[in-house]
Amino acid sequence: MLARALEQAGVSTTSISLVREHTEKVKPPRALFVPFPFGMALGRPGDPELQHRVLRAALDLLAESAGPVLRDFPEDAEPGDQPAAPPQASGIAPAAQVPDDVAMETTQMRRYHERWLEKNGGRTHLGLSGIPATRFRGVVRFLEEFADGREAEMTERPPDVPLPNFIRYCADDLKTLYFEGHLAMKPAAGGEEIARWFWGETGAGRLLRRVRDRLDASTDPRWKAAAFGIAR
Amino acid sequence: MPRLDRLPQISRNSLLTFPAQVNESAPFVRPAKPLSACRLAIVTTAGLHRRGDRLFTPGDQTYRVLPTETPTVDIIQSHTSIGFDRVPTMRDVNICFPIDRLRELIARGELGGLGPSGYSFMGAQREVTRIEGETGPEVGRRLRDEGVDVALITPT
Repeated sequence: MLARALEQAGVSTTSISLVREHTEKVKPPRALFVPFPFGMALGRPGDPELQHRVLRAALDLLAESAGPVLRDFPEDAEPGDQPAAPPQASGIAPAAQVPDDVAMETTQMRRYHERWLEKNGGRTHLGLSGIPATRFRGVVRFLEEFADGREAEMTERPPDVPLPNFIRYCADDLKTLYFEGHLAMKPAAGGEEIARWFWGETGAGRLLRRVRDRLDASTDPRWKAAAFGIAR
Repeated sequence: MPRLDRLPQISRNSLLTFPAQVNESAPFVRPAKPLSACRLAIVTTAGLHRRGDRLFTPGDQTYRVLPTETPTVDIIQSHTSIGFDRVPTMRDVNICFPIDRLRELIARGELGGLGPSGYSFMGAQREVTRIEGETGPEVGRRLRDEGVDVALITPT
């Protein structure tokens, strides 16, 4: 649909498609269907050769004389790759014992996260809440107050960002701190393994389940949408 | 994969009932030059933008400009969804925004160059009227004005 709008403006397009069934309907001018999970359009992270093969196959479609063209990338995902979708919190049983002191746990995770930053030239997905990782203890306290049903607020929330959206951004930043911190400890860990650890064994995972519960108990659709985005 | 038969049922149902637009044909502009002479821009639906840029919000049909010189450490993703795994993008932004791969193609002489900007939308939207009628065509005009011959469209 976006490809069609660009092409109508006179720009040739080639698209990578993750859902063949939708691409068949929308009919972009040129599309390469790839058999990879959501989040992995170019194949595998850290595998430049595979990424180049995908890119080449998508760019080759520009030589076609007529369209729409929908071609299948010939290589299937390899066994042992990521599952088609990340496991959801509801499908992961929390361990009997998880840390109670989430603020302390978060401080510990920050040490791993600093290692992640060192190893990756400073690259991180943190930044949605606008609050630096050094002040995440405050984020944890804010989320705990909210989960406890209290009136929770942070002075850092911009006036134009509604409370449920801000909570969602804080939750996403907290997840990022833990996920990237875990990757610093176990660089080969996949998304499924990290999700099982986060939702099963961390205090932050338990806290976000409680945040989700309060948001989901609201009748306001914006609160419910934020709940759905934090944990399902 | 996500071949629908490999997805959990809830994801499969959500995709099968997704109101995808149905078209019979497609506009089709053949590039006037070989790829080695073409200027390319990435247009992604991965909800990426520069850190500090306006975040994407639910139902957001606007776009963000990603200047080609933006260091990848300054790119973040504010479309977060439990429907896709963010770990691959955390590990390597090229998984949905293959900027390093494109630079390698340029160095090898296989691609002419990059436009001054990439563009980013948020994908997986049910309501796309504004992208179709306003913001999509606007990005098309900007690309044309920037001398871009080819747009590579990448999802997440």
